[in-house]
Amino acid sequence: MDAFNGRIPAGIWGLSGALLVAALVLPFMLSPFQLRLAQQILLFGGMAVAWEMLGGFTNYWSFGHTAFFGLGAFGAGLLGQQLDPSLSVAVKLMIGMAFAIGLAFVAALAIAIPVLNLRGIYFAIAMLAFAEILAEITKTFDAFHGTSGFPLPALLVPGLTKVQLFYFLFLVLFLANIAVFVWLRRSRIGMGLTCIGQDEDTASMLGIPTERYKLIAFVLSAVLTAMGGVLYGYSLGFISTGSVFRIDISLNLILYTMLGGIGTVAGPIIGAALMIVLTQVVLGNLLDLHMMLTGAVLIAMVILAPKGLMGLARKVWDRRRGTAEGRP
Amino acid sequence: MNATLLLQTLVDGLILGGIFSLSAVGFSLIFGVLGVVNLAHGVFILAGAYLGLWLKGALGLDPLAAIPVVFLILAVIGGALQQTLVSAAIRRGSLMTSLLITFGASLILRDLLILAFGPDIQSLSSTWLLRTYHVGGVVIDGARATGLLASLVLLAVLAVALHAMKVGRAIRATAQQSFAAGLCGVDSNWIYMLTFGVSAGFAGASGIIIGMINPFSPFDDAYWTLNAFVTVVLGGIGSPVGALLGGLMLGEISTLSSQYIGPRFPNVFIFCALLLMLIVRPNGLLGNAYKASV
Repeated sequence: MDAFNGRIPAGIWGLSGALLVAALVLPFMLSPFQLRLAQQILLFGGMAVAWEMLGGFTNYWSFGHTAFFGLGAFGAGLLGQQLDPSLSVAVKLMIGMAFAIGLAFVAALAIAIPVLNLRGIYFAIAMLAFAEILAEITKTFDAFHGTSGFPLPALLVPGLTKVQLFYFLFLVLFLANIAVFVWLRRSRIGMGLTCIGQDEDTASMLGIPTERYKLIAFVLSAVLTAMGGVLYGYSLGFISTGSVFRIDISLNLILYTMLGGIGTVAGPIIGAALMIVLTQVVLGNLLDLHMMLTGAVLIAMVILAPKGLMGLARKVWDRRRGTAEGRP
Repeated sequence: MNATLLLQTLVDGLILGGIFSLSAVGFSLIFGVLGVVNLAHGVFILAGAYLGLWLKGALGLDPLAAIPVVFLILAVIGGALQQTLVSAAIRRGSLMTSLLITFGASLILRDLLILAFGPDIQSLSSTWLLRTYHVGGVVIDGARATGLLASLVLLAVLAVALHAMKVGRAIRATAQQSFAAGLCGVDSNWIYMLTFGVSAGFAGASGIIIGMINPFSPFDDAYWTLNAFVTVVLGGIGSPVGALLGGLMLGEISTLSSQYIGPRFPNVFIFCALLLMLIVRPNGLLGNAYKASV
């Protein structure tokens, strides 16, 4: 295995720079529909990277990340309604964002203490239950307006259309997700998490502070997901329990990650791009078959390429290089 | 507090719980023997209900009489699913990947149900129902009582099969340690397929009973899967008795909270109970029937 914190090759820097420039130019060239697709890829691809901070290294697969997504959207939205209406929307968004970060931080800490002691499938289902509890609470108590939904003020910036504006906001969050993930993976924590993924008992026996590392990854992942929820809420302009506490969001994050390649930066993004384009463009007219296709892709990936497209590409690449150097 | 109302609520909870037990026992068996959380469980249940509907329309078969037929059809589907996809996923990946496989299968099966039967809400009715009884002010609904009775009979059959029959012993042995069971001449691959098939069959049978009591639509599958999981976590893994205990607890929590706190609250209580149990005793009150508790 390569060194955890070796130098990032120049090729990767170059490629990332080129992609970033393309991402900055794109909103002025695409049609609104295409831009909306790009928005979704940035948002959900970025959140899949956030999901990976725990699930990518270890077997702690959260099946309820939509809990934090919804928490962010509802927290920021409901706080925004309480604020002085004369405040500008941008200020409201920032206050809401800060509030959502704090809320997700506290919620993640509170839920992590019991839930991170569970392993494997039990953790997955406990997270699912946590998401369901939050969804039910927002639906049950009228104070949260979960059933009927509530509006969020429209954020406007002169010179940019709404789609372009949120494209850039999602892009910023997307880059933040990637930066945090790369930092995490190259840090001591990332190495510790990888060890936990291989054998948690041995890791803790060798003196890795497993509880602390898991907690850090979980809280980071939760906070970044909640930030995605805030932006998503503002981009929709109207949210309800059904639009942000969605079990399919949780599952899609896993699907994107699995499809692209778990444990990599590019994997979830490629996975998100592929699935979003596939379901919304290719099958745009066959709405009934969305779910069936998602299921089929999921099954095909697990059986044919358990390490995702990145794993497949790496295998092909290694084999090629191997034969070029005269190895079988 | 009104005593009759309390009694009525408790009776309703028991009846509901008996039906929950049957709906969860297949899930529990797969979890106990294969270690797989079968996210397609809810679709199996709905497939049972829809097959009952179809058999009634096409052949005029009463839903209760259709139970054996539906059981067989779903057992074949379940066994085939295990042989083709689930075993491949576990071989290539880990137990976690079986979650993804069964979830993928559930998405496909649900879309097939929608394509075949439409997305509308349906219901089943049987002519073989018991009468509705009034016992000292407590009403026992005929359809529900029939469902409870059928559930208890099926659970008893499973319990006897697991404990008294040779194949049941082989299933329990495989669940304890598949390697050692293999050394003793048990074909664990066959047992895995059989367990998955039988479990799917029980899910289908419970689907018919559920369909006689509640209206159903293809979108209910996640609800039933979660219900099964809660039942297993409350009661215990891998045994009909655990499923029965968990189902009864779930039924009582559900009816008591909706009667005394508010009709919108049961789900909050159920999920809180689930989270609490996961934290305190993740393998249920009775623990894992086959393995030492974690």
